[in-house]
Amino acid sequence: MSISGLGPHGERAASGDLLTLTSKDEEAARAGHFSVAVVMHTTTSDWSRQILAGVVTALGNYSAVVVDVVDCKFGIENQIQALNRLADEPVDAVISIPIGNAAVAEAHKRIARAGKKLILLDNAATGLLPGNDYVSVVSADNFGLGEVGAELLSPYLPEGGTVGILGYRVDFFATNQREIAFRKWIGANRPDLTLKMEKFHDVTNIESALERLLESCKPLSGLFVVWDEPTIAVVHHLRKRGLYLPITTVDLGNEAAAELARDGMIKGIGAQNPYRQGIAIAKTTVLSLLGHQPPPWIALHALAVTASNVIEAYQVVWHKPAPKDLIDIRRKNSKR
Amino acid sequence: MQSVGRPKTIDTGQKSLAGILNLIRENIATTRPQIEKETELGRAVVTDRVSILTKLGLVEYGELGQASGGRAPRRLQFCVNAGLILVAVLENSAIGVGLSNLSGELYAEHHEAIDVSIGPDAMMQRLFTLFDWLIEERGDQLPVWSIGVAVPSPIRNTEGSSFEIESTSFQALSGWGNFPLVEHICAKYKAPVWVRDGVQAMTVGEQYSGRDVKTDDLLFVQLGQSVGAGFISNGQLHRGADGIAGLVGHAQTGGAGDVVCHCGKKGCLEVLVGSDAIERSGTEAANSGQSAYLADILSKYGVVTVADVGDAARMGDTFSAELLTKCGRLIGESLSRMANLLNPALIVLGGHVAQTGDILLAAVREAVYRQSHPLVTREMQIVRSQMGGSASLVGVSKIVVEQLFTDKTLRQWVTHGAPRMHPKFVEFLEHAQRITSKPAKLSLPPDAGVTG
Repeated sequence: MSISGLGPHGERAASGDLLTLTSKDEEAARAGHFSVAVVMHTTTSDWSRQILAGVVTALGNYSAVVVDVVDCKFGIENQIQALNRLADEPVDAVISIPIGNAAVAEAHKRIARAGKKLILLDNAATGLLPGNDYVSVVSADNFGLGEVGAELLSPYLPEGGTVGILGYRVDFFATNQREIAFRKWIGANRPDLTLKMEKFHDVTNIESALERLLESCKPLSGLFVVWDEPTIAVVHHLRKRGLYLPITTVDLGNEAAAELARDGMIKGIGAQNPYRQGIAIAKTTVLSLLGHQPPPWIALHALAVTASNVIEAYQVVWHKPAPKDLIDIRRKNSKR
Repeated sequence: MQSVGRPKTIDTGQKSLAGILNLIRENIATTRPQIEKETELGRAVVTDRVSILTKLGLVEYGELGQASGGRAPRRLQFCVNAGLILVAVLENSAIGVGLSNLSGELYAEHHEAIDVSIGPDAMMQRLFTLFDWLIEERGDQLPVWSIGVAVPSPIRNTEGSSFEIESTSFQALSGWGNFPLVEHICAKYKAPVWVRDGVQAMTVGEQYSGRDVKTDDLLFVQLGQSVGAGFISNGQLHRGADGIAGLVGHAQTGGAGDVVCHCGKKGCLEVLVGSDAIERSGTEAANSGQSAYLADILSKYGVVTVADVGDAARMGDTFSAELLTKCGRLIGESLSRMANLLNPALIVLGGHVAQTGDILLAAVREAVYRQSHPLVTREMQIVRSQMGGSASLVGVSKIVVEQLFTDKTLRQWVTHGAPRMHPKFVEFLEHAQRITSKPAKLSLPPDAGVTG
């Protein structure tokens, strides 16, 4: 599958898998002994852990040291403080995922102004420009993930049905891209369907958004939720109400994988590959520190996951064997 | 929409209303005493005009200004959020949309790939879907005041008109013929539309890149499938007698072989250094074994793109590095003549070919510095664009703002509080609605059922 999404400024994507360091580059990197700081929205999610694993592994291979990992705990102020501090510290590069769009733009600009390289994960805060303010945005192909969500849901949707989208109220590049792509794919390939949209602020109020959706369109034929955690809340809520809906989402979290494996409500998942993304981020960082000019928009392919390939996909995405429970669920259901 | 205030004053005061609004908007005079001084109008007249502008929702009172003896006057400010400006850039392989306030500051944008072969109806459906999404998500229920569209096509000046650009005078995208682009957009959003050549829009956008360099005399060169240029002189875009200035891709190079340009001539710069030419050369090198790197790309992905050639050059592929050096030199030679003529402070290179990396940029610089007069190049900088597709959106939103508030246009709508009541636009809208209501040019948008 090719990379579908364009970058925040309309850039064509360069594949993260094609980033290469020559042996001369590797030698220069090892001699450089670079120091790098990483600023994450959270360090406790599976996604963040895999990103960090990819980053530190690849940087280690080039003798670059991760000297600081900041957990912003989703706090905009925490991120601003961390970036302001790092701008004055002796680090060569900062890897950061902007949390609050325009609110954190100025703090990110300080990194480049302090003469350090800034590499962004997933999105560029409003007003930041590549070259001036940052080196590259390294991201999953979120547009592609939305398309996967639509394509995998389509076979479960009856002719002329109504499909719901549960989108994220916060203005966030990645989730916006998924939602737009889902709509576009349905519009182009299933013009018979009607789309209905509801938004949620955070996972804790997903049920009320779902209720509004259920109330306003009867019957609802299927659902796309922009990432896995709220999807699980939706599945639990629907079960509690005795309802069944085919659902697709993004991210192969443990619970979502289990629901997919048991042929439950989740019918398909567009999976990111955070470990490989971490490696691409590390390579981009090292290339920029060596004076190269990596592409401004680097993306990694979306992976389409269904019940039939969930175990292999789990291994690919999480770089570890699938849990025994997941394998057992899959075995049990594939024998049916 | 009804006029506000005393009709007699409004009917006779369009000039002073327009003048005062622009003084406030451009921060030239922001208190009543300052306005009195700038306009030489009496206190009563200024008070009256400010009162009308306030009632129309065009200006509002802000913080206290500086006192000059008596009570500190309250500052007036333009209501930049009185309405929305929708902007779009249509290209043969991509579409970008954005939303800006009335000072032309872009605060939301989205870009996606699209294939022009889907035709104008499908492209318009997509444009409307994306515009509707922007309005719904970020529009704060504000009215659409105006729309700006950048297209990869020369747009001729329309003499004497304020709003209407006859769609029949240009072909927005290849294969569109005289598709009534402007009329469709006007009819859908009931707001005036301005269309500009994409390169000229990007040139204006680059003025606002935030670079720490003087941008009032700027030469922008778009190096993509086609090659074009835009020029800002003393802060103003130079459009030329017919509005089509900047077709530098059709400068004769004398070495283009037998390839015929779409303009019908041989030897055009575009035929040698445009992305099509680079991709063609890259593919040939992959097939002939001249480049192992590109051969690998071709076998994996089935195509060689201009970005692949750039990556190959960065990775040490000799063929790609030489190809980009040759292209850079040819571009630089053409630019050196323009640099001598125009004396820009800054040359910005944009487009996919410019993004291939430092090898091409270095060759351009080398040729320009070698072939231009030393006085011209003493302070001049040559850089790569960092704004990408955002430059078009920023540029076209700034162009729309400029057009909305030109004295001539503003006078006609200021008493109504919004440009859609401009008499010529009302007239044009009727024409647009007549044209678009004829046998369905457009079917319903694919997600016409989207609500909420």
